[in-house]
Amino acid sequence: MNAKQTKITSTTPEPIININHFKMNFGNKTVIKDLSFDVYKGEVFGFLGSNGSGKTTTIRALLGIYKPTSGILNIGNKPFSIPSDIKLGYLPEERGFYRKETVIDVMTYFGQLKGLQKAEAKDRAETYLRRVKLIDMASVKIDKLSGGQQQKIQLGITIIDDPELLILDEPTKGFDPVNRRLLMDIIQEHNKAGATIMFITHQMEEVEQLCDRIILLKDGVARAYGTVKDVKREFNNLSLDDIFIKVYGDENEEIERNNNV
Amino acid sequence: MYNLGTVLWFEIMRTLKRKSFWITAVAFPIGIGLIFAIIYFSNISTKNAAENTINQKFSFMITDDSGLINKELIKQHKATESDNKQAAIKDVSDGKIDAYFYYPDDLVNNKVEIYAAEAGIFDNGRYEGVAKTILQQSVESVTDTQTTAVLKDSIGFNSILYKNGLQFDGYKEIIAPGIFLVLFYILIVTFGNQMLSSTTEEKENRVIEIILTTIKARTLIMGKIISLIILAFFQVAIILIPTIIAYVLFHNALSLPNFDLSNIPLDPTRIAIAAIIFILSFLMITGLLVAIGSAVPTAKEANGFFGVVMIMMFGPLYAVSLFVSAPTSNIVKFLTLFPLTAPIPMLLRNAIGNLTTFETITGITILAISAIVILTIAIRLFQYGALEYTNRISLKKVFQKH
Repeated sequence: MNAKQTKITSTTPEPIININHFKMNFGNKTVIKDLSFDVYKGEVFGFLGSNGSGKTTTIRALLGIYKPTSGILNIGNKPFSIPSDIKLGYLPEERGFYRKETVIDVMTYFGQLKGLQKAEAKDRAETYLRRVKLIDMASVKIDKLSGGQQQKIQLGITIIDDPELLILDEPTKGFDPVNRRLLMDIIQEHNKAGATIMFITHQMEEVEQLCDRIILLKDGVARAYGTVKDVKREFNNLSLDDIFIKVYGDENEEIERNNNV
Repeated sequence: MYNLGTVLWFEIMRTLKRKSFWITAVAFPIGIGLIFAIIYFSNISTKNAAENTINQKFSFMITDDSGLINKELIKQHKATESDNKQAAIKDVSDGKIDAYFYYPDDLVNNKVEIYAAEAGIFDNGRYEGVAKTILQQSVESVTDTQTTAVLKDSIGFNSILYKNGLQFDGYKEIIAPGIFLVLFYILIVTFGNQMLSSTTEEKENRVIEIILTTIKARTLIMGKIISLIILAFFQVAIILIPTIIAYVLFHNALSLPNFDLSNIPLDPTRIAIAAIIFILSFLMITGLLVAIGSAVPTAKEANGFFGVVMIMMFGPLYAVSLFVSAPTSNIVKFLTLFPLTAPIPMLLRNAIGNLTTFETITGITILAISAIVILTIAIRLFQYGALEYTNRISLKKVFQKH
């Protein structure tokens, strides 16, 4: 039994995120039919699904960017609002920056927006840049950085104020194995320090390595939900890769068929 | 507003760090300086050239049927008189003399005729200059100085007008409230595009999602608007300070009129109305530009809409004479009360003093409602529309979805 399983069984689960009968329509199109799940304090929660299954929509609704058609989406027992009682770090799917500004200026700015004093925000930014070996780029404009370097900066912005809840939408997308390992280590460190982590990924080895519990979203409802072990058991102990292919394989074939037509 | 100060500081500093801001900021005063310099040197060289031209020596003949030309002056210019017009013209065409001036007996209905050898575009003017000078000096020699002054239209007039028992200067009354009109024009011309790009930039940078989970859209938009106002005043200072210094130091050299700023009338009511119209108009147009920036996917596409807004905003300037001469006409009333065209007519008519109390109250109310509605829509569009990175978003879609 590994450390993360011990953590779940030895503490009373207290949800930091609670989603209850969430439904989301865009015009006549229903993206989420009826979705309910909890994310417990201190756990790493994997939010899985094929492209277009509604994961990002769910997160945007949870964070108040979209207004849900119906249902309850709470962070810390109430809908998310700014300023929030819970320190949130959100790494969106769409990576965005003030590209004409320097790395240190942008990191300091977001640190300040998250409630840090300017000096502290700058100190923390420099500490992070040292950690990810980008300190020499501190005064470089962001548009001069490579895609991978920009992603590291984006993660730095997300965690600069040591958030209690990290919501990461494909945090390691596009990374080489070395940098992926570095970022996974950073995420794990935050989890060990007490942060709850909810993340979207298509990398099943990351799910195996990090997640306490997962949810598989398909056709706007939860196809599977529980601990990694429980979900595997539900699928006759298949690997997560095989489970993913089993659940979403026919969907991809259908997409391909539609494309060919 | 939570984090407003941080947004404000960031927006101001990142604009001040841009080369484009300084190029725009400095280009205007430099342009004005260059124009002043060109006018100054052009005046000097034209004056010198004109004097040189008149003083240039050339041989000429005169026939005076008007009887006004002073014979002494003909001698002073070493010219000769001719009683044969055709022979004198032939002498000019044969190159025997440089010019021949014929003064007809009826100067009111006939023109002075000048026949002369071609001397180049600029130097050809010397012939008319000399012919005119001889005629003017001849007339001045037989009239008294006052008659000469009247004839030369060099008499000064001093009008003193009274309104409500007090002296009144209509032109000076315009200055204080009119400053807001000038300020509005400068702000929109120099900063309109920046207002637009400040939101399209957020969209093109795809930074919206992380921003909207960190601060409220309202805080960001207000931070942007306030920072633009501060930067705009900074820009105005960059323009005004060198202009004032240049005026104080060089107004004599540039033949600019003397302004006595100490006795400019300050009508607190009109100044207050101008300030209110200015603020509401600025908020309304800023909201409009933010809304456009949020609704379209790229700055390039936004510029098309920006052009339309500018035409509506500054189109009324082409009807300036109407605002003065026919303030009660329907077209003037429409332009004054239609929100998108209202700022310029309201500011202008308030400055010249023909904005009625009814129009003032109605116009300000319309501007206030428009500013609030447009800003609300702009913030909503920014909040929801800005996530549509590649599509143009309609109001219907935004309000339907959410």
